[in-house]
Amino acid sequence: MIKRLIVNASYALQTSKRYQSNKRFFYNLLENDKYRYKKYIDILMITLIFISVAVLIREVKYPVNDYLLFFSTYIISIIFFIEYVLRLWVSSSVSEIIVKRAEHDSFLGHSISLSKALLTVFRVKVAYIVSVRAIIDLLAILPFFHELRLLRIFILFRVFKLFRYARSFQTLAGVLATKKFEFITLGLFSSIVIFVSSVLIYVMEANNDASPINTLFDALYWSIVTISTVGYGDVTPVTDAGRFVAMLVITAGIAVLAFTTSLVVSALTDKLEEIREVKTIENLSKMQEFYLICGYESVAKELCKKLASSSHNIIVLDEDITRINMAKKDGLTALHYSPGKISSYKNLGIDISKQVKAVLCLRANDVENVYTALTVRSFDKEVFILSLLMNDSNRKKLEFAGINHLVYPQELVAMITKEFIGKPVAFEVVHAMRSANGNVKIDELAVTTRVRENFKTIGELGNSAYRVIVLGVYKNDTDKFLFNPDKDTAIEVGDYIIAIGYEVFIGEFEHHLQTKVRDA
Amino acid sequence: MHKTTALIFGYNKYGLEIVQNIREKYERTRLYSQDESNLSDEINEVEYFDLSDDWSSIENTVKISDSIAFCVLEDDAQNIFLTISLRAYFKDLSIVAIASNLENANKLTMAGANKVIPVVETAADIIANILELPISSKVLESILFEENDLKIAQIKIDEDTILKDRELLSIDWNEYRGIIVLSLMDKDMKNEFIYSSKVKHHVLKCGDILVVVGYEKDIEDFKELIGSERI
Repeated sequence: MIKRLIVNASYALQTSKRYQSNKRFFYNLLENDKYRYKKYIDILMITLIFISVAVLIREVKYPVNDYLLFFSTYIISIIFFIEYVLRLWVSSSVSEIIVKRAEHDSFLGHSISLSKALLTVFRVKVAYIVSVRAIIDLLAILPFFHELRLLRIFILFRVFKLFRYARSFQTLAGVLATKKFEFITLGLFSSIVIFVSSVLIYVMEANNDASPINTLFDALYWSIVTISTVGYGDVTPVTDAGRFVAMLVITAGIAVLAFTTSLVVSALTDKLEEIREVKTIENLSKMQEFYLICGYESVAKELCKKLASSSHNIIVLDEDITRINMAKKDGLTALHYSPGKISSYKNLGIDISKQVKAVLCLRANDVENVYTALTVRSFDKEVFILSLLMNDSNRKKLEFAGINHLVYPQELVAMITKEFIGKPVAFEVVHAMRSANGNVKIDELAVTTRVRENFKTIGELGNSAYRVIVLGVYKNDTDKFLFNPDKDTAIEVGDYIIAIGYEVFIGEFEHHLQTKVRDA
Repeated sequence: MHKTTALIFGYNKYGLEIVQNIREKYERTRLYSQDESNLSDEINEVEYFDLSDDWSSIENTVKISDSIAFCVLEDDAQNIFLTISLRAYFKDLSIVAIASNLENANKLTMAGANKVIPVVETAADIIANILELPISSKVLESILFEENDLKIAQIKIDEDTILKDRELLSIDWNEYRGIIVLSLMDKDMKNEFIYSSKVKHHVLKCGDILVVVGYEKDIEDFKELIGSERI
């Protein structure tokens, strides 16, 4: 009866969207570094930790406000307790374990073994409870029982919780963990040296009345102070034999120090690139809008220069490490991930619909560009994809892959050539407006509510005073471009005014559109 | 001066695209290939060339002053060599060349090309425009490549033009409905934006060229009204 009840409840929880979404929410909030709001919880927790420590320090010599003491002792402890329980909850899914066991047993035709499922639950939860992080979390709650004076010192364990919230600490720990074997060897070597030198110095010095080393603890203290090259000088050997031991320990100490330093440095050097990449990926998930450049070759290189000069965010993906290094050298955020693989976007946590302004497939290879476009389209049907076309015979394939705009350099050159030989002056004018290097620019000025409040018609804009030509208006409602519209043409919010002029004058004209207040 | 013969050096995607686009504009288009196997092309008139200094076969069959050469070899170094070779032999030949980047574009200009199209830079410019200014990019493209009725035209000022001897500042372009005057190219071949302070007090003279945008009919009307000719 109870067994059926538990299994049914587990199935209900597993299939409950509300329960799962709540659990996911708390998981993201506490454990998912890529979750936007996690940092606020981390900051809150770090602040609480510092308040606790500040109260502890103040309390040593001065009286502390009762409310503050209450807050530090009870409120913070309760918050940490809630956090501990939530972490224990989201660390694993009890209902999932039970459901899996039930399905496993049903599949094999056995009766459901709830005891086995509960044993697994117990093991999983205990494994979490005895993990270093969970123990620190638990110890941080102990100051709640502040009547026991000893437990107050556990406030300091709250400081260890900082490791949980500061990602860089975890990274550092991770880096050092890669040299685990070397550190264990070093630890063993140091322990043996300390043990042998402690015993030696004790044997040499303990029977000498003039020596400050009288106990084995004194000898151990002296050994550690000496081997660490700190050398306070409060305990020193007085016999020749003792001094000889000291010389050996000092030499060993230098070796230990050098070995430790080189270990840390080499671990950091080995992992530096990885750390940077992890950091970049973290920042990537927080980035608002960016252009995704797939493939870093000549056109991409040139385009990135132009986009970067307009302060656009750019992310470069390429499967070739040489090209990625070239992009990095050019100061871009470049990641060695294949743009044609779904796993790349998943691992990088890129939300194409929310974060990507446009995907640019810029490999000089139609096959690769089709592959990338199809991968992106499998995620998102709406995002704007632009691609290079290297061979006209592949045009239909690229269009079929869902690419919105194709740029075929050969055709471009032919069209430009045709126009150049036909109307060279006109060509130069238009080319100068398109080029990033020209003085005269063409720009699109959005008609906002503010602009609409100030101006109702084209005739009211007063562009001539700013030496700006209004080439036309793009009407948003009809999706049409009105060339050289009449003075009486109404402008609406959402329209775009296409202006030509010197960059500085266009800027002033735009400012005028935004700020002019109409006379009453 | 109108050219009658186009000489396209480079049997490749660029060369073939150019042939397709300009065939109608020239009485004769000749495609030159470094590979003799391409000479059997049935659609295009293909001739063999190498990078030696012997251009006599071209000189004997084509009037150089009426010709324009397109150097579109895919290897930049070879293209530069071809350009310098043509320029050294034919002083009056108009040469249009492609370059993969700006560095080589400068070298081609030094080698004597009249116009250089940096392919990568141009493609990047166009992509940046499509991304940043999608509407104006479409408008400019449709004007430049004449994809609809909107056209860009060059109007030459001559003796009979009513605008001749008038100061630019004194002209109210609004009088000429339907067209927009973008720039002016004076006799010294300097192209200036119509609102540039450099040409504000410029007095229109014979030979000056106005670059205007408008619908075909409005451009024709403008031309008739000022008594000028379209070039």
